[in-house]
Amino acid sequence: MSTHDEARRAFLIGAAVGTVAGAGLVPDALAQDHERHAAANAPASAHPHSTGAGHGAFLNDDDAAIVAAFTERLMPGAPGKPGAREAGVLNYIDLALAGAYEDLQDFYRRGLASLDAYCRKTHNAPFPRLDAARQDKVITALEEGKATGFTWPTAQAFFNTVRTHTMEGMFADPIYGGNKDFAGWRLVSFPGAQPLFSPEDMKSKDAFTRLPIIGLQAQAPVRRG
Amino acid sequence: MATEKTDVVIIGVGAAGGVLAAELGKAGMKVIGLERGPRLTTQDFNPHDELRYFTRQDLRPNIKRQPVTWRPNANARANPIPVQNYGNQAGGGTVHYGAVSWRFHEDDFRARSQTIERYGASAIPEDSSLVDWPLSYADLEPYYDRIEYELGVSGKAGNLQGRKIDGGNVFEAPRRREFPLPPLVVDQAGAVFDAAAKKLSYHPFSTPRAILSKAYKGRPGCTYCGFCQAFGCHVGAKSSILVTVLPQADATGNFKLITGAMCYRVNSDNSGRVTGVAYWGPDGSDNTIEAELVILTPFIYDNTRLLLLSKTDKFPNGLANSSGQVGKHLTAHMMPNVYVAFDDRHINNYMGPSAQKHTIDDFNADNFNHADVGFIRGSQISVGTGNLEGGPISLTTTAPPSGVPRWGAAYRDFLAKYYARHAAMVAQTENLPYADQTIDLDPNVRDAWGLPAPRLTYDWRRPNELARVEFMMKKMEEIGRAMGATHVWRAPLGPGAPGAHHEGGTRMGTDPKTSVVNRYGQSWDIPNLFVIGSSTFPSMSGFNPTLTIQALAYMSADAIVNRYKKNPGPLL
Repeated sequence: MSTHDEARRAFLIGAAVGTVAGAGLVPDALAQDHERHAAANAPASAHPHSTGAGHGAFLNDDDAAIVAAFTERLMPGAPGKPGAREAGVLNYIDLALAGAYEDLQDFYRRGLASLDAYCRKTHNAPFPRLDAARQDKVITALEEGKATGFTWPTAQAFFNTVRTHTMEGMFADPIYGGNKDFAGWRLVSFPGAQPLFSPEDMKSKDAFTRLPIIGLQAQAPVRRG
Repeated sequence: MATEKTDVVIIGVGAAGGVLAAELGKAGMKVIGLERGPRLTTQDFNPHDELRYFTRQDLRPNIKRQPVTWRPNANARANPIPVQNYGNQAGGGTVHYGAVSWRFHEDDFRARSQTIERYGASAIPEDSSLVDWPLSYADLEPYYDRIEYELGVSGKAGNLQGRKIDGGNVFEAPRRREFPLPPLVVDQAGAVFDAAAKKLSYHPFSTPRAILSKAYKGRPGCTYCGFCQAFGCHVGAKSSILVTVLPQADATGNFKLITGAMCYRVNSDNSGRVTGVAYWGPDGSDNTIEAELVILTPFIYDNTRLLLLSKTDKFPNGLANSSGQVGKHLTAHMMPNVYVAFDDRHINNYMGPSAQKHTIDDFNADNFNHADVGFIRGSQISVGTGNLEGGPISLTTTAPPSGVPRWGAAYRDFLAKYYARHAAMVAQTENLPYADQTIDLDPNVRDAWGLPAPRLTYDWRRPNELARVEFMMKKMEEIGRAMGATHVWRAPLGPGAPGAHHEGGTRMGTDPKTSVVNRYGQSWDIPNLFVIGSSTFPSMSGFNPTLTIQALAYMSADAIVNRYKKNPGPLL
């Protein structure tokens, strides 16, 4: 990358983050400030619910337990591979249902009630108590429209919506409550809202690894040395 | 209730309305532009956010407040469509578009004649209403040149005054001079596509885009951030109406933009002229503008809707509709996708302008022999991102390769491995017009203002179009294999609903009995009413429509300023 590109990149990163922070255009100082801020507070800064149980804005405890377990099967975690629980997908869905998706509150209430009734009827236990294999069996029954007892939403519609929201919670900016510490973006090697790629970046056939990952308010820490 | 007087009122200040506001203002005409949404600025688009703009479609109409319904045929009930692709603010769709900026081919303007000359009249499906345009490529070429240099289109000529040039689009119509800016920097999706297409003896090139490859007219060059289609540009390098001609309109001192204004009727009198428009303001106020000239330039649904809503005793079938043609001949591009993914390399497809990055034109228009393929007209084939947008949420909305489930550990591992190693090809098909593909007023669904929603009756799944899609899918799979991709797979086709880039509803033509407007967008019935935009296209081409909309707007502006202004009345 040329010196010109480096300077332009620093400016654009500063401007990108600075706009949300409401700060003026003092790019270099701002960029440094954000680096320090990010290094000190990276995990906490963008996650209003990250220290709590991951819900409270809309879902009750029982419903939250079902959503947490269900979404973790849709996007399961493994060592080195963050899943829905680690990314805070429950927190994303809880906040979305209290805000942007409030028109889906009844959709979730009724879908979760139908799911609970189906699990108790077919497996004599609520979804979170089932082992992973049984949970997957239940999810497959929803996906294929074979789970009984659903009216509105239908089993397939409920599955599709929860799947869509799980992916949003994994991969939307952390400002929305999921993708905690950029867990989803790290999983798939997405560097976030980079304001600039250089001609050299565009030529590369290799993974793009230059830090920081850039979000609306937070940046991943830049590792030095 | 406010009443204002002006020379010209323009409804919808997007690709066409912005050009007309600037040009008529420069000629000294007093212009008021009405815009349903807000006027945003470059700083509104910083920083970028896939959820807000791609998933939740922040720059597009709210589908609950402004529903548009669709049904496959006249016997089915129409339901609101979940995604709308047009703009909802000053600048219209040019704010969020991918900025792909084509000139149509010469035969795109005479698809009917071209087909009959080469294959005979029987090659055209009996129920298709395919017709020639009332103007030729040569008529529009000066205006294509004008808009390319206004916007700063980046590309490489493939046909300079008849001289074919390798590396450009050798199938393009002759252009008088080179593009104003060189092509954008190639990314890895473009690079693998080019190499594979050349191996197959096709002719790949960098898609012409109204995105600055270098600083131009006081705006900076593209930063290749990748947040392009679905997003506003955070540096103003994408040449939207907001950063190009709207400032020109402002500078004339003759232009006033009213935002948050919902136009609900074009007013007319018993003399057969229009007298202005009525609109609701953001506070619910009911307002009137009296104007000598009314120009409709919203997205195509609202042209038809406004004309039908404005019916009077004198015009009982709606304005400009003595032909009965208003609302007919709706067409839209289908966008079938083939995905590729690599084990041995990264693509990092989130880099660079996201839509239709590199293209082959070998199978578009009548650029190849259709004698034995079972369909007429073709498709642009290009490489880029699925959904024309390159973030990770976008990839999760499409189907993985066969054998990979849509959820669970295997799906997680698919995303983890291939998100940064995949690309998507898209065939943008030239669907034929059919008279029974229509826009009208939905009797059951109303918008937030209480107006009937536009209702689309449309099903692209006709024999000619299905055969074309299958042919293009096979071509894309062939290119994918030539890339050496580990996985090559088709995305499932959607239902019969219209895809991207709608055209039709207020067709232009040479005969007032069979068309709504003349080549200038002037109503045959009402000479002081103009309709300008892709709703006037008689056929659609396999190319994106915006540059042609803008060129037509310049042509109409010239006719209004140089001829109509001196002698108001029919231009033809």
